[in-house]
Amino acid sequence: MDELPSEVDLLIIGTGFIESIISAAASRIGKSVLHLDPNDYYGNQWGSFNLQALLDYNPDPSEPCDFRNKSFSLKNFHYEWLMEDQKEDLLKNSRKFNIDLTPKLHYCRGDFVQLLITSNIARYSEFRSVTRILTWLNGQLELVPCSRSDVFASQKVSVVEKRVLMKLLTSLDDILDSENTHNFKKFLESRKLSDNLVTYVMAMAGATEHTSLGEGVKSVKRFLDSLGRFGKTPYLFSMYGSGEIAQAFCRLSAVFGGIYALNQQNLISLDSEDNRITSLTTTKQQIRAQNYVTSLEQCSEKFLRPVKINNYISRAILITNKSILPSEQEQLSFLIYPEGTERIINVFELGSLTGTCPKNYYLVHLTSKQVTTPQEDFKGALGNLFSGSDQPQIIFSCYFSIPETSDLDFENVPENLFLCPGPDNDLDYNSSIQKAREIFEKMYPDLEFLPRAPDPEEIIIGD
Amino acid sequence: MAKTYDYLFKLLLIGDSGVGKTCVLFRFSEDAFNTTFISTIGIDFKIRTIDLEGKKIKLQIWDTAGQERFRTITTAYYRGAMGIMLVYDITNEKSFENIKNWIRNIEENASADVEKMLLGNKCELEEKRQVSKERGEYLAIEYGIKFIETSAKASIRVEEAFFTLAKDIKAKMEKKLEASNPPKGGHQIRATDPQKKPTSWLSRCTLL
Ligand SMILES: Nc1nc2c(ncn2[C@@H]2O[C@H](COP(=O)(O)OP(=O)(O)O)[C@@H](O)[C@H]2O)c(=O)[nH]1
Ligand SMILES: [Mg+2]
Repeated sequence: MDELPSEVDLLIIGTGFIESIISAAASRIGKSVLHLDPNDYYGNQWGSFNLQALLDYNPDPSEPCDFRNKSFSLKNFHYEWLMEDQKEDLLKNSRKFNIDLTPKLHYCRGDFVQLLITSNIARYSEFRSVTRILTWLNGQLELVPCSRSDVFASQKVSVVEKRVLMKLLTSLDDILDSENTHNFKKFLESRKLSDNLVTYVMAMAGATEHTSLGEGVKSVKRFLDSLGRFGKTPYLFSMYGSGEIAQAFCRLSAVFGGIYALNQQNLISLDSEDNRITSLTTTKQQIRAQNYVTSLEQCSEKFLRPVKINNYISRAILITNKSILPSEQEQLSFLIYPEGTERIINVFELGSLTGTCPKNYYLVHLTSKQVTTPQEDFKGALGNLFSGSDQPQIIFSCYFSIPETSDLDFENVPENLFLCPGPDNDLDYNSSIQKAREIFEKMYPDLEFLPRAPDPEEIIIGD
Repeated sequence: MAKTYDYLFKLLLIGDSGVGKTCVLFRFSEDAFNTTFISTIGIDFKIRTIDLEGKKIKLQIWDTAGQERFRTITTAYYRGAMGIMLVYDITNEKSFENIKNWIRNIEENASADVEKMLLGNKCELEEKRQVSKERGEYLAIEYGIKFIETSAKASIRVEEAFFTLAKDIKAKMEKKLEASNPPKGGHQIRATDPQKKPTSWLSRCTLL
C-alpha cells in the first residue's frame, strides 16, 4: 500500500463531524490535508452502523494508547434482545440498518442547511422532511400543529384560542421587549392559552418548565422561521442516517485533494517541543504539519490535564415492530416528550423510507440529558409508549451515555493543536458548525470558510 | 422548467488507484485525455447526456476523489448508484486481483441490484500486458457481468462501455416499471428555487 505524505499543512486525527468540516474547509482553500482515523469507520461518536456493526461496537477497547483517551469514550454501552425470535431475521437484514450514535435533525432554514447549500455540499446527501411532530399530553400522544391550516383544522383548539395563538406567534418580536416575566411557560400561561396550546408551543420550543422567556421565544421563532420551506414541518433528517453528513464533508475534502486513511493502528505519538506539536510518529514514518486537529476522544492524555466530565447525554436505540401512532402512510416522526419538569426527551421514529431500517420495522432514537442512567432516564417514557397491548413492541434495545464535552475548556494545549469536542445534546448541528468555524478561523484568520464549491460543469480544463 | 432528459442514471467508477478511472471519465465526458489536470482539480462527477433507443439519458458519473487509495471510500459514495464500472489496468496484475475486494466492498455498501461492468483499461499497451483478455472474460463470467477492454488514452471502446452499461440499466429499469407502478419517487430541491413546494406528504429531497 502507498505511503502517507511526510509533510502537509494540516493533519487531522478523527473523522467526527467537527473534524470533517474543518478538513473540508481547509482543503477547499488549498491547504494540503491528511485526515487519519484509528477507527476503521468514519464518524467517531457521530458515526452510523449497520446492526451487526452496532453489536460489535466496542466503545472502550482495553489497550489504552496515545490516540485513545478513555475519559471521552462512550459509557454504559449495553444492548439486549427483547424478542429473541426476531434476532435472526433482523441480523439477516443487518445492512439495511444505518444506526446513528448521534442522530440529528436539521432546521430547514438553519445554519446547517444554509452551509450545505452555500458550500455546494448538498449534492452529496439526500434528506427527508420530518412528517409530523408529536408531543405527550395528559397520558397520550398529540400532534403538534405546524401550520396555520393545521391549527385551524385542529379540533383540540377552540376558535378563540386560535386567534390568541396566531396573535402570539405573529408578535414574538415585540414580546421580548414588553414582557417582564422571565419564565417561558409562565408567560404562555399568562396569555390565557389552554393547557393544550401551552403544551404545543412548549413542544415547538423544546422547552421545559425552566426555560427562560428569551430562550423559549428564540426557539419558537427558529421553529416558525423554518416552516414552509421543505415539507410540512421545520425539520429535515438526512437519509441513511446523520453519519452520512460527516462523510459528505470528507468527500468534499477529498475532492479538493485531502488524503484519507482510516484504520490507522500504527500511530505511535504526537511529538511536541516548546508547546508546539512537531510531528506525528507512526511505526513507519514521521509526518510533519503546521497545524494539528484531533478529536478529544483521540487526543493523548499528555496534552489534556485530567478533566472531570459533569454531563452526559443519555441515549437509547430501539427496534420496534410498529409505529407509536400508526397511520396509513409511513411517517417520520419527531416526538417531544416532556419528562418531569426539567427534561425533554427527543424521540425520532424512523421507518424504512429514511434508509435507516428495513421495511415493517421502526428504528427509534431517544436522546436526553442524563440524570441517572440511560435505562432509568427513559424508563417512564418507554413504559408509556411501548407497554400496552396495542402499542408497538420493542424487539431490540441498546443504551449508552455520551460524554458531553462541547463546553469543556482546556488550558496549556500546544498552540498548534486544536481539539474537537464530541456531540452535544442539541437537536441540530448549529453549535458544532460554530465550533468548526472557530477552529478554522484560528488557523486561517483571513480566509473564507467553505466558499461555494464549483459545479463539475464549471471546471474548465486547460491544455 | 421542462426536464431535458427522460432518465437520470447515477454511475460510479471503482478500482485501484492508477488504473485510469479519472482518464476514462474524461475520455467519455470531454473526449479528452490530459494527464496534467488530475493532480490539480478535484473531480466530483461529470455529466453527459446520451440518446439511447429514443430516450435521453443523463449520466451522472462519479469519481472516487482519490478515496480508493487507502480504501476509505465513504459509504455515502455508493448511495443511489445504479451502475458501477469496475476498472483494472491490464498492465497491472495486482489491480486485477483487487477487483474481488472491490466487488466485496460493493456488496457491502451498494444496493443489491446495482448493475456492474468490468473494464480492463490501458489496452493499447499490448507490450506491457500482464492480464490476458481471457482472464478478464472469465472473471466477468464468474460474477455474471459484462466485460470490455478499453483505452482512455487511445480512445478505444470507452463510449461502447458506458453505452452498454446505460442500456442494461435502462432495460432493468423499464422491466421494473412494467412490473409495478413504482412508489412516488423523491424530488430535488435547488437552492435557486427554494419556494418550490414539496409534492408529496413524505417528501424526499436533495438540497442541490
Ligand atoms: N497508456 C495508458 N495510460 C493511461 C490510460 N488511462 C490512464 N492512463 C494513465 O494512468 C495514470 C493514472 O490515471 P488516472 O486516471 O489518474 O487513474 P485513477 O487513479 O484510476 O483515477 C495516468 O498517468 C494516466 O495518464 C490508458 O488508457 N492508457
Ligand atoms: Mg482518479
